[in-house]
Amino acid sequence: KMAAPMELFCWSGGWGLPSVDLDSLAVLTYARFTGAPLKVHKISNPWRSPSGTLPALRTSHGEVISVPHKIITHLRKEKYNADYDLSARQGADTLAFMSLLEEKLLPVLVHTFWIDTKNYVEVTRKWYAEAMPFPLNFFLPGRMQRQYMERLELLSGEHMPEDEEELEKELYREARECLTLLSQRLGSQKFFFGDAPASLDAFVFSYLALLLQAKLPSGKLQAHLRGLHNLCAYCTHILSLYFPWDGAEVPPPRQTPAGPETEEEPYRRRNQILSVLAGLAAMVGYALLSGIVSIQRATPARAPGTRALGMAEEDEEE
Amino acid sequence: MSLVAEAFVSQIAAAEPWPENATLYQQLKGEQILLSDNAASLAVQAFLQMCNLPIKVVCRANAEYMSPSGKVPFIHVGNQVVSELGPIVQFVKAKGHSLSDGLGEVQKAEMKAYMELVNNMLLTAELYLQWCDEATVGEITHARYGSPYPWPLNHILAYQKQWEVKRKMKAIGWGKKTLDQVLEDVDQCCQALSQRLGTQPYFFNKQPTELDALVFGHLYTILTTQLTNDELSEKIPLPDTW
Repeated sequence: KMAAPMELFCWSGGWGLPSVDLDSLAVLTYARFTGAPLKVHKISNPWRSPSGTLPALRTSHGEVISVPHKIITHLRKEKYNADYDLSARQGADTLAFMSLLEEKLLPVLVHTFWIDTKNYVEVTRKWYAEAMPFPLNFFLPGRMQRQYMERLELLSGEHMPEDEEELEKELYREARECLTLLSQRLGSQKFFFGDAPASLDAFVFSYLALLLQAKLPSGKLQAHLRGLHNLCAYCTHILSLYFPWDGAEVPPPRQTPAGPETEEEPYRRRNQILSVLAGLAAMVGYALLSGIVSIQRATPARAPGTRALGMAEEDEEE
Repeated sequence: MSLVAEAFVSQIAAAEPWPENATLYQQLKGEQILLSDNAASLAVQAFLQMCNLPIKVVCRANAEYMSPSGKVPFIHVGNQVVSELGPIVQFVKAKGHSLSDGLGEVQKAEMKAYMELVNNMLLTAELYLQWCDEATVGEITHARYGSPYPWPLNHILAYQKQWEVKRKMKAIGWGKKTLDQVLEDVDQCCQALSQRLGTQPYFFNKQPTELDALVFGHLYTILTTQLTNDELSEKIPLPDTW
């Protein structure tokens, strides 16, 4: 008797990636690495997830796990273990590098996507607002931003910066250092621990992929990352190997810029016409109702006279 | 520090040699200092000892407030004040003393990563134990943290700090953790460190580095501090490491 298959709920894809959210992407990548048979639901409404947040895993026993590390631990328990062949020393290295990622790279990723005004408005909020159903798209992106801001404040509040700019510079400097360290550790290998991907690769890939693929207007870290060629190659390699269909979304962006625009055009024209008509109707209605213009039924012979009289009367009233 | 300020500090630092009267400030040893701060202070002291730089330890009740970043310990060298192990290591490097120069690029990356691991897991676990475990908080932390101050300031400051730490724990996802889960994390961290160390005397080559200083500071403090429950110190796989 087969238990129900495991179901993974995660944020849907965009920007050429299978998912736009860091945690969802990491979990998805790990699942692909291990070939775990998951039923993946790509949704853009966190309220439809069983735990209220994304990503979330519903196990075959109906239990719901929502912390990414715990999801991966559960997959490991179910014998989908990407770290099986790692030596104890490599396992220790994994823990250490994950801490490095969380301390140095995560704050900057959060800042780049959610705090940096240009990026937030033009990329992040746009995607989330377009993806989410009505009426969530009005308040949920803003709420998410506030949550991320608070988290960032608490994380880096220890350093008590004098002003925001200094904090930003320091954050980005540490992130650049972290990326360089990762590049040095990867060297010319295919994955961090040889020829087979491990859980560390899933997490590093999710960070790098988001930084590289999203078209950020202010991408200071992107520029640095693009200079680290082995990391870029690593990223594209994983994307093409494990997410060939989602990766194939990348060429269409050439055609879609024309697409959405032509799609929007008839709507835009229609909306313009409708709004002009609505404006006219409102003005005419107001004019009629308030008596500025009155339509009188008069006999054709006397029409000009009465009309003149009617208007003269109104002038007196006013 | 911004890049410009850092370059400036390095210039000034490089200009003068290490003075004889350098001092390290921490809270009062006997009655006030807490586990996490003691560990940090010990780590810095160990690091400076490894570099053969003389340092005098001075205990002040308001060390936390004197520090430029709000964290202890901090060192007062010449006319500069630098706090926390990371900046202190850089400052000492600018003066021409460094323990990690001989390491290759990959090893430097590993060293940084392991230092983050210690900060991420051990330090956070210490903070959790001190401020979020009700038994420890009631019996030890509150009393110690507020000891130099008169009533009611001692209670107010202790509660304020506790609230701050709890907020931070929530932000990094440790708010919902139980003590057992925290101890499990400590266990994992110690296993990782033990694996990395193997049978060598130090983590890298035959020379100690700042990673050794940091790990020593934390482990020694955990092993020698009396807490309400000894589970934390029991997690340390004993002496073949030290």
